[in-house]
Amino acid sequence: MQIEARKYGLLDLIKIPIQAAPAAAILVGLHSILAGIIPTIHVLVTADFIDTAIGILQGSLARSEIYSSLFAVVVLIAYSWVAAALANLINVKFDLGLQRHYHTAVMEKRARLHYRHIENPETWDLISRVTSRPEAQLTGGYRLLISAAAEILRIMGVLGILISQVWWAALAILSFSVPLFALAVKSGKASYEASKETAKYKRKSYYLADVLTSRETVDERTLFGYSDQINELWHERYETARRIEHQVIKKWFVRSKASGVITALISVLIVVVLLNPVLTGALSVGLFISLVGATFNLVQMMSWQLTSYADQLAKHREYLRDLTEFAMLEEADSAQMVPAESVPQFRSLEFFNVSFKYPGTDKYVLKNLSFRMEAGKHYAFAGVNGSGKTTITKLIAGLYDNYTGEILLNGKSIREWHPSELKAMLSIVYQDFAKYYITVRDNIALGDVNAIYSREDWQINRAISQTGLSAAVEKLPQGIQTPLGKIKPDGYDISGGEWQRIAMARAIVNPAPLRILDEPTAALDPISESELYQEFERISRGKTTIFISHRLGSTKLADEIFVIGDGRVLEHGTHQELMALDGVYAEMYESQRSWYN
Amino acid sequence: MKNQISLHKIVWRILKMVMAACPLYFSAVCLIGVIHGLSWGLNTYAMQFFFDSVASAVTGQGRLTVVYWGLAALGAVSIGSQVLNGMHNFMTNTLYNLVPGHLGKHIHRKAARIEPVCYETPELLDDINKAQKGAGNSLGLLIVVVVLFTFYLPYFGFMAWYLYRLKPILIVSLVFIFIPVFITQLIRGAVHARLEDESAPLRREVDYYEKCICDREYFKETRLLGAYGFFKQLYLTALNAMQEKKWSVELKTHLMEIGMKMLTLLGYFGVLYLLFTALMNGEISIGSFAAVFGSIELMFSIMDEIVSHHIGGMTKDLGTVRNFMRFLDLPERTGELERVSFEGGMRFHDVSFSYPGSETKALDHVNLTIKPGETIAIVGQNGAGKSTLVKLLVGLYLPTEGVVEIGGADSRKISPESIYKGTTGVFQKYQRYKLTLQENVWISDLEAQDQTHLETAVKKADLELDQETFPQGYDTMLSREFDGVDLSGGQWQRVALARGFYRRHDLIVLDEPTAAIDPLEETRIYQKFAELSRDKTAIIVTHRLGSAKIADRIVVMDQGRIVAVGTHEQLMRERGKYAEMYQAQAQWYAG
Repeated sequence: MQIEARKYGLLDLIKIPIQAAPAAAILVGLHSILAGIIPTIHVLVTADFIDTAIGILQGSLARSEIYSSLFAVVVLIAYSWVAAALANLINVKFDLGLQRHYHTAVMEKRARLHYRHIENPETWDLISRVTSRPEAQLTGGYRLLISAAAEILRIMGVLGILISQVWWAALAILSFSVPLFALAVKSGKASYEASKETAKYKRKSYYLADVLTSRETVDERTLFGYSDQINELWHERYETARRIEHQVIKKWFVRSKASGVITALISVLIVVVLLNPVLTGALSVGLFISLVGATFNLVQMMSWQLTSYADQLAKHREYLRDLTEFAMLEEADSAQMVPAESVPQFRSLEFFNVSFKYPGTDKYVLKNLSFRMEAGKHYAFAGVNGSGKTTITKLIAGLYDNYTGEILLNGKSIREWHPSELKAMLSIVYQDFAKYYITVRDNIALGDVNAIYSREDWQINRAISQTGLSAAVEKLPQGIQTPLGKIKPDGYDISGGEWQRIAMARAIVNPAPLRILDEPTAALDPISESELYQEFERISRGKTTIFISHRLGSTKLADEIFVIGDGRVLEHGTHQELMALDGVYAEMYESQRSWYN
Repeated sequence: MKNQISLHKIVWRILKMVMAACPLYFSAVCLIGVIHGLSWGLNTYAMQFFFDSVASAVTGQGRLTVVYWGLAALGAVSIGSQVLNGMHNFMTNTLYNLVPGHLGKHIHRKAARIEPVCYETPELLDDINKAQKGAGNSLGLLIVVVVLFTFYLPYFGFMAWYLYRLKPILIVSLVFIFIPVFITQLIRGAVHARLEDESAPLRREVDYYEKCICDREYFKETRLLGAYGFFKQLYLTALNAMQEKKWSVELKTHLMEIGMKMLTLLGYFGVLYLLFTALMNGEISIGSFAAVFGSIELMFSIMDEIVSHHIGGMTKDLGTVRNFMRFLDLPERTGELERVSFEGGMRFHDVSFSYPGSETKALDHVNLTIKPGETIAIVGQNGAGKSTLVKLLVGLYLPTEGVVEIGGADSRKISPESIYKGTTGVFQKYQRYKLTLQENVWISDLEAQDQTHLETAVKKADLELDQETFPQGYDTMLSREFDGVDLSGGQWQRVALARGFYRRHDLIVLDEPTAAIDPLEETRIYQKFAELSRDKTAIIVTHRLGSAKIADRIVVMDQGRIVAVGTHEQLMRERGKYAEMYQAQAQWYAG
């Protein structure tokens, strides 16, 4: 099953479940439809039973006549009960099927998305909405549609019996009920809109509640002692949201109970209409009694269900709209590809007049950026925060392609490179590197995914010792087979610095000829930082490396330093050349050095 | 199990809170509930009355006016019970939304009073995080109990009385029918709780591998590594394991349920037969027969609803309710002393501190005296205990051993209201409040909301109020989520500094708020800071030794101990830890 890029409509609430779990979906549907028909049969069987009982009582029928009627009643009740229990079981199967197929399909679509949708807050919101328990949305929608159909059958059935007895009464009732139903559907939409409005106020009050109780704020909260005042503000916001919601709910209740009262009146009306036939003997007492019972039961149902169906339907439509939008989001071809097995040779990387801004923003992060890098050398990017250093790594990795200018790898535009070749070309240790909660071994072996299952332990161990992790790994209960993080029950937590080294070890295992290190040392103190850089530099001899840092001491070793500012290269050269230039770099360096003079 | 708080104690406790919050409304809900419950019973009675009148009118014994009266009564009861139903549900719903407003205030006040160190204790943190949810659930619990007693009990009471009047044995048989329903639900509850325990780790695994594939944190790295297939495999394996587990348990419980339903069904038929024979023997009328026949099903479905929905849900949420109760019982600080001024300086007498549940000492026999007006820098590697020292210094944490004196008074004996007076700080993880700029600064001292003071603080922090970044000046909302603006890291930094400066203080603490900032900025901030706090007691925490030089004295920490105190020159001469660290950092800038 796949999420196709097309428009999704109400019909898909039926189609997708049938596709995902055909047997269960059909059984669930069948049961609901039968549950809609049964009440009608129930009315007839009950009528027969009561009439027979009365007949026996009056002496017109033999006592043995009752057994067939009683049997019918018993069978019907037994069916309803057992079927309900079985239906619950099938529903479980149904839910599991959708989770297995639909949820997985949604996840796959998400994994294929173009990277820009991940960083863009708006599309990310959309993605989060569509992908949080998506199977529940569909099973809910399917059940809603089926049970609405069943409910209509149920009403039709009772009306059908009425028509066969007093045809005009049924017409009268229909002419009442149809506008009522239309009204319910219409205001269902309105109340959904209103509840969306309160969401904003609620978010504000949730936020303050978080400020008042969360661990992150405890220091300032306690020291500044703002709890009392913020608490009042919170309560004010909470009450604002609550009052708006209160009004909406009030309307909802009035609406559904008004239709309840009206249906009750209609029922009384039906009874009045039926009275004459029953008194004249045209309608049997049994049928009269069971019809009255059935209509009064309808009241209870109609008063709640109709309005709630209307509300739920509005929500499902909203979900389908979101799903359509999600399905239409562009995908990246490279998403599911593994790096090429044969590692390509790296000769040069060149940016030529590259300009770039993040989608949905106006500000150029890179502006006419040009530089050239050759194989086998060490490079560094230096610059203040926000100068665009990290963005450069994203462009090299092919995560964004909406730049202007040219990025040439070995003289060929990276747009023309096969994605798996490109992946095989570079390894990056990001500033916000991933902490995978899997075993130490897998965490490191992931650096070369083509050999993940065949990688030898000694290779892992070498990477571990090269990054100074040996002591930490020895302490782990199962050595390199210890799962990290708190996902597995026997998982083990390690410190931020150790995670950092794991990320480095992953890069070491990676056979890619170009290595990028994007300020991966934020969690380290300066001593550990310099050790790590030195070590990495040593390991990477023979490879081409790019260091990104704003601590200039550590970038000094590079063969060439590019000073980035305002989205372009301000200065470049060796440390000595840049110092001699006495420009931006020299100023930054002097300022940092001045701490130690 | 320890820490188990019994159900009735929970209900009683939350009842007291609700009664204190809105006594009238709560009583009204109870009252309406009782009437509502009775109205349902009355419905059956009206039904019987009406059917009897029809039956006798058909045979010509009864009069037609009685039939019409019966119908009118039935109609009135039916409509009345509809209205009551609406009112009862609506009012319960209102209660559900109204009470959390009061409980929330309760929670927030409590959160302000518990010891900040509770947030560092894993077991307590769970209670704190789940308190909010637990409060909602305990309200739900109370409402279920109240509805059981005020609505279902009157209804079943009425029906029992009604059936007893018809034929005493009917009640007994009804009870027999309910028992299987009850047992099934109890077993199901237990099985499900176990399933939850067993499948929760599997579910977490499934969710986690999905995150590895497509969550923001992992997206770019997983994609670049080409690790999609690897994680998909893990995901599918975990998913299959989870689904198998779930299916086997569900199959078992459902089959058991079907079996129990068969038992109930037998009971049901028994009642039917009893009714039938009673009718045949003329013990009950046609009307009562029909009315009872009609209401048995209703009673069954209500019973099912109570047991599976209400009671089932109740036990499911009990965990978080206990979190909430334990949260309410967390210890609060109880000092009574009014705080004396900083004139007396600060002193650590042989202070040790361990985080709760931890064996290692974060601070190990620390002795330190800080004179008023002094600027102190605390340096050391990650995990040396710098931040812990600061937290004890401002009184956020209390020592495990030894005494911290603030202005001559034991920090343990100072009242929570006055201990933080005159102290301000900017912490490593300063907050980015999603409030207006003005509120973001004022929040450090909400009792004194002063405009000129605000402007001075903003100026001190070098925060420029240009039109582009702050379109509404001080009223600009600093969050895009709430229709405001997003600030850069550097701008937030300055907002945090302004916040720190705004609070009236004699002591100011700067706990490495510069980790994410570039070196040029950092140097500027520290120099500015030194200049601003010349006449105050000031503490700077840093691991970049270059910045420490502006201090009067430098405190060097290593593994929870103070290893050296002195000026930069003294410490360099000593050739100890400080000189070693300094050299390591300075070598990068040599030559």
